[in-house]
Amino acid sequence: MTRAPYVSRRGLFKAAGASAALLGAASACAYVNPPGPRALPKKKIVPKVDGDLVYFNWADYVHPKVLKGFKAEYGVDIIQSNFDSMEGMAAKLAAGNRYDVIFPSAQWVQKLDAANQLYPIDHSVLDNAAAIFDYYDYFADPWYDPKSAHSIPFTMYKTGVAWRKDKLGDQLTGSWNDLWNDTANGHTFLLDDRDEVLGMGALLLGLDLNTADGDDLDQIVDKIDSLRPYLRAFSSDDFNNLLSGDAWLTQAWSGDLAAVIWEADDPSLYAFESPSEGSPVNTDTYAIPSNAQHPGTALLFIDYMLRPENVEKNINYIGYPMPVHGTEAVYDELMAPFPACKVTVDDLGEDLYFTNHGVDDTRARDDAYTRIKVG
Amino acid sequence: MSSAKKSDRLWTWLLLPGTLWMSVFFVSALALVVALSFGRTDELGNPRFSNTLENIRGILEWTYLRVIIRSLVYSVSATAICLLISYPVAYVIARHGGRYRNALVALIVIPFFANYLVRMYGWQTLLSDDGVVMKRLRDLGVSSDFHILDTAGAVIGGLVYGYIVFMVLPVYASLQRMDGSLIEAGRDLYGSPLRTFLTVTVPATRAGAYAGIVLVFLPAMGDFISAQLLGGPDNLMIGNLIQDKFFAGQNWPLGAALTMTLMLLLLVCMFAYLRQTARDSREAAR
Repeated sequence: MTRAPYVSRRGLFKAAGASAALLGAASACAYVNPPGPRALPKKKIVPKVDGDLVYFNWADYVHPKVLKGFKAEYGVDIIQSNFDSMEGMAAKLAAGNRYDVIFPSAQWVQKLDAANQLYPIDHSVLDNAAAIFDYYDYFADPWYDPKSAHSIPFTMYKTGVAWRKDKLGDQLTGSWNDLWNDTANGHTFLLDDRDEVLGMGALLLGLDLNTADGDDLDQIVDKIDSLRPYLRAFSSDDFNNLLSGDAWLTQAWSGDLAAVIWEADDPSLYAFESPSEGSPVNTDTYAIPSNAQHPGTALLFIDYMLRPENVEKNINYIGYPMPVHGTEAVYDELMAPFPACKVTVDDLGEDLYFTNHGVDDTRARDDAYTRIKVG
Repeated sequence: MSSAKKSDRLWTWLLLPGTLWMSVFFVSALALVVALSFGRTDELGNPRFSNTLENIRGILEWTYLRVIIRSLVYSVSATAICLLISYPVAYVIARHGGRYRNALVALIVIPFFANYLVRMYGWQTLLSDDGVVMKRLRDLGVSSDFHILDTAGAVIGGLVYGYIVFMVLPVYASLQRMDGSLIEAGRDLYGSPLRTFLTVTVPATRAGAYAGIVLVFLPAMGDFISAQLLGGPDNLMIGNLIQDKFFAGQNWPLGAALTMTLMLLLLVCMFAYLRQTARDSREAAR
């Protein structure tokens, strides 16, 4: 009689362990490979259909009709997926997922570019790029991407204070100090965002917006600790917090407030101010990852998005200004009742933007933010 | 070859897919987390393997320990409340449910078909300051300063609501399995209803309660959704910090180290449970 290949419990564990180790090692390669820059894509890209568009963006950040129009006009499909944070987007890219067009913020353009993860974009092959670069000097050579060589600007926004006029009055003092408000105690929110919260503290204390210095960070932590008794929560959902009535006073993004004002039954209840100590500004962009399979379609898509009629549709849909010449009037008209929410390219010129930090500085800042959140 | 051996071999082969599945998606993922807790991050924020103890040292700070203790308090409270609610509910269904028994159990389970996250968003909407619940309470004369959302109570409530079904079901199963004549015997021996319950029913259904306690406590301890959606700045749980480290913090190694700490803590609880049930079954066998 031959011995049946009966597997003992121990044998099973061993086999499981071995295959796990093997697979773990295989998937772990992603974390072991030297973090050095990827090889730059050599191929020059031109706006020409070379496949369906694999699109990766925030949810609801482009008018659905505009997307539909692109599909119809060029006979391609748009394969959509969404991210819910820049870090999430970067993690997907790092894991080797391939997208044709992504929408990174200024900081992330710089980071991705530093790792050679973005295609260079030649502005001269885009029919509509001149409407940006001939009129908006700022974007001709922005801090995050010299000569906008790897990105095309999409939207602009800034951070300020939003409040309920029926609870706190028509005017506040126009300072970040307005967040320390006794009437709004228990109805005050801060954005759940490391840069925004530390930046707000830094602006109030007259420190560098992006400081990573230990003493500075300690001061910021102390300062914001004094706000904690007033705080209801750290939450980046400023839109819903205001609409649900939980927030009477909140750190908020200008674009979100514009959305609140359209959604609200009574828009006269809400107000927004850019504090005198400074409003951090930011830009979202279009970019093409260097491992994109259809960079030609992506370029075509960007050019299509820059057509004035599409820009206008998008401005009306999301409420964020876009630096495309000829569409300013649409935005102005939209924001006429709420001038404080308006973001212009002059705001960007103030140079109050969040920069990238090295590993140690990022850790110091994240540590400070954790101390603020835990209290 | 005997047919018994043949069927042994069959079972062995049938075990293979499951074993493979678990090794690929469970053991290797776990191994990655353990390995990453000794890792570091590169300039892009991507995790890299290394051999630093910095992350382990990092969590020995009061900031993190406080949050771990808070999470323990919340999960223990939530588990206790689940037990207090589940016992009478399961008792009534098991002993007095009659032919509606299964329907009643189904009624308890059905809400749990909806995703946990969605249910928590539901509570957020219900409990918000201008929401249905608070409006009614204010009509009844409750002070306008009072709010439920963003308090410890709301977070614990969320945990209770989120996981109570894991308590009701095992307790119900053990109550249903229990021989009803034991209770009659207790009463025949002049035990008061309370005394009978405490000395007969409770010990006979202890195993179900233990299982329920473990099933509620373990996920509650790692939960972050309840604290995120229903909690305020003073209600952060360890799950929130782990999530923060993995996402916005871009510090996977520290997140992995926190995850390991949490797992070790839960393992200790799990061992306590296994020892207790082993002791119980030895006693039962005697």
